[in-house]
Amino acid sequence: MISLISANSAISFPKIAVWDVFVRVFHWSLVLVVCIAALTGFVLDATWFQIHVWAGTASALLIFVRLIWGALGPTYARLGNAVTDPATMIRHTRSLMVGNAPRHIGHNPLAAAMVLAMVAVVFTLGLSGVIVLGGVYKTGPLAFGLTYSTATSVGELHQVIAIGFLVLITLHIAGAIYESRRTRENLPLAMVTGLKENRPGDHVAPHHSAHPVMAGFLVVGALLLAFGAGNNLAARPEYGGLVQQIDVVYQDECAACHMAFHPSLMTGQNWVALMANLPDHFGEDASLSPASQADITAWLTRNAAETADTKPAHVFRDLDQAYPYTFTKAPYWQQTHQNIAPEVFNLAPVFSRANCAACHSDAETGWFYPANITIPQEKSK
Amino acid sequence: MSRPRTSQTQRGLQAVLTSTFLLVGPTHLTAGPAQDAVIAALAAEAGVSGFSAQTGKAFFQASHSGGKPETPSCTTCHTSDPLAAGRTRVGKPIEPMAVSLSPNRFTDPEKLAKWFRRNCNSVLGRECTTTEQGDVLTYLSSL
Repeated sequence: MISLISANSAISFPKIAVWDVFVRVFHWSLVLVVCIAALTGFVLDATWFQIHVWAGTASALLIFVRLIWGALGPTYARLGNAVTDPATMIRHTRSLMVGNAPRHIGHNPLAAAMVLAMVAVVFTLGLSGVIVLGGVYKTGPLAFGLTYSTATSVGELHQVIAIGFLVLITLHIAGAIYESRRTRENLPLAMVTGLKENRPGDHVAPHHSAHPVMAGFLVVGALLLAFGAGNNLAARPEYGGLVQQIDVVYQDECAACHMAFHPSLMTGQNWVALMANLPDHFGEDASLSPASQADITAWLTRNAAETADTKPAHVFRDLDQAYPYTFTKAPYWQQTHQNIAPEVFNLAPVFSRANCAACHSDAETGWFYPANITIPQEKSK
Repeated sequence: MSRPRTSQTQRGLQAVLTSTFLLVGPTHLTAGPAQDAVIAALAAEAGVSGFSAQTGKAFFQASHSGGKPETPSCTTCHTSDPLAAGRTRVGKPIEPMAVSLSPNRFTDPEKLAKWFRRNCNSVLGRECTTTEQGDVLTYLSSL
């Protein structure tokens, strides 16, 4: 493309600085964190969850700083300048189709619309992400007040918007390639060097001076405020939290053979069914004295899934009718563990599908936070 | 859970005594007063003067039928070496069965009855006789 341009252009135009260093660093940082967020969200497994959360947080922070720079930065960093009314966008599109559209030194009307759309999308993704983190995973600043059911619907929205974002990114890249060819100037390269050619007839934006100190204070102030408020909110107890004190008799009797499955993992009805069938407990005789059996049943039902609002407390509410108390037969379990090789379960150090704690380090708390998953390397038995 | 460790000398002495007794033949072997009392109570119940560690060993190590197919023997979970840690069917470690390594074993008659009831049912499909229980306890106390 470069060689084509120099071969065809008889005159070389003077270069002017268009994209300031912040805008360039912002652009490519956003590319990086959005790629990480997309990869960890769409492709990689749940063990990458925390990286996804960090990438999403970083994207939202970048957008926030960019908005401030969009109000206080130099001429071509300003977003207010670039944004035009729909009529101008339609006019620009028509002249593109006819072939007499002018060149814009900064954002052209369609590019400005793309900027706005991307800002809105990243903001919405960040917000819906925090909602899911709070309501579904019971962590972060919104964990204190969001229900699982609200947050799961928002989670579906998060996914749809993320797919929409991929479409926008594709359009953005296509637009950059199209405009580079049309105007014979390498626009992605301009986003690296910051320089563009100044040709006669180019649309030039009215000059604005940058206010970096004011912008800096605003960013730091707002971040401190957000950080303080976020920490304060995150410190509150989560909605529908889990019982933390494990019953002594339960621990003694049940956890003698297997991990202490948290009572919130199953409904009271299913716990009662399980406790009534201890002489044939997954092929073992696990019978108890009537007193212990009654104590344990009472404690389990008192803290059963109905009393919690965590994700495991919801996804294991409807177990397979044929296996009313077997998590590993539940559709959710099957689906989320299908890519794990059977050997991982059968060999050391896991030994069994029932040994949740071998991979989920927080299994006995009932939380099952994705970032707490480490699938161990198998050893010989 | 912390468990008191038997000292090296104590263990060495036990090993010497144990081998001597094993050579002598069926006898009433114990690792401590608590196990002693439990085994004595079983002997009284069975109407015998003592149990056989040899018979207990054979019973512990044998493959049985009549129980659940997944657990044909005590050794399925406890391994054939009572001095080694075992593993439940879902992978949870079991402390060694030998009293020399797990001195708290076989001291609580209620707990003992519970585990014999459950495990004999799983391995043999029936309850264990008092003599079988006494023989196994004598074997595991002698190690």
